[in-house]
Amino acid sequence: MNTDQLIDSLASDVKPVRRSALGARLGFGMLIGALVSAALVIMLLGARPDLASAMNGFAFWMKWTYTLSLSAIAVYATAQLARPNPGNLRVLWLIAIPVTLLAGVGVLELAHTPPGEWLAMWLGSSWSKCPWYVFGLAMPIFIGLLWSFRRLAPTRLRAAGAAAGLAAGAFAATVYCLHCPEVSAIFVLTWYTLGILLAASLGALVGPRLLRW
Amino acid sequence: MRANEDQLRAWMVGGLDGVAADHACLLRALVPILSAFYSRRVFASDDIEDLVQETLIAVHSRRATYDRDRAFTAWLFSIARYKMIDHFRRSRSVVPIEELEDILMVEGFEASSGARLDIEDLLGTLPAKQARMIRATHIDGATVAEAAAASGYGESDVKVSIHRGLKALAARIRGSET
Repeated sequence: MNTDQLIDSLASDVKPVRRSALGARLGFGMLIGALVSAALVIMLLGARPDLASAMNGFAFWMKWTYTLSLSAIAVYATAQLARPNPGNLRVLWLIAIPVTLLAGVGVLELAHTPPGEWLAMWLGSSWSKCPWYVFGLAMPIFIGLLWSFRRLAPTRLRAAGAAAGLAAGAFAATVYCLHCPEVSAIFVLTWYTLGILLAASLGALVGPRLLRW
Repeated sequence: MRANEDQLRAWMVGGLDGVAADHACLLRALVPILSAFYSRRVFASDDIEDLVQETLIAVHSRRATYDRDRAFTAWLFSIARYKMIDHFRRSRSVVPIEELEDILMVEGFEASSGARLDIEDLLGTLPAKQARMIRATHIDGATVAEAAAASGYGESDVKVSIHRGLKALAARIRGSET
């Protein structure tokens, strides 16, 4: 096809694009993935039986604040990296805030707990499974984001993959809170974060291959 | 005549609003720009046409990634550069080292012209005398003595102007970063 014909055919299909189109596309991919993850949690793991009363407690909201703030930062970075000329990525430093706050809560908890119980508090009852659940639940969300990226234009593929993996991991951790009964800050800081980092690493690993366009 | 940034951006925004005529104008105007971009860097004419077409398709199908508040040409050349690198990777071609210098110089030209614009903007915020002395000594490369002779001021006067001007610029840059 010569270039003039190509231009004519492209210009015959001009739909309006809203300012919010990029965000909407990322949000939609993430939402579909998150619904799949939530369905998996409820069907395979089961929501924690005391979910309603837990939602009145501090630990639940501490976990959600941590995972949701990480998600928000990661989604913002993903949206930047979905453009061919990414804007400022210094916003990623904000991740230090929730991590530091959670670590602060962890130190307070340790101070109020006899040292003999520290190990049990740190490992909880599910430390060996938690990172893998978070990682597994991140997969549907990551796939949703890969779908979003099919109409976007990342040029730093490894960074974009890592940001998408981070967003998927952090949001998967949010969903996993529906099941997870753990209450200690150092548990969340270690094992949730580990699962989220696994997802981000996978994203960085496969980004250059799967995000090419 | 080549269309400029403002015109291209107006067409792009028109296309994003659903005006097919603007979108067609944009794509047509991009053909010579992209051909020039690629012919300076890729060396087979078939490849150039393919790359131009691929880039046009990307500009069309991925236009949601353009941020209306940012420069259009920066967005365009980011796509073009990505397509070129992808082309080299796919064809496994190796850029000969003698030509690499040209490529780097062309790339450097974009960066340096951008930097020059920034400098002009910044100098515009200073009193005229300070801006003139900084331009003479730090950009055009004259010595303080030469600048003093050319302007008719004394040497120490020139030095003080430069010093105050640079200090004000440094403060301004620090201020705009935070």
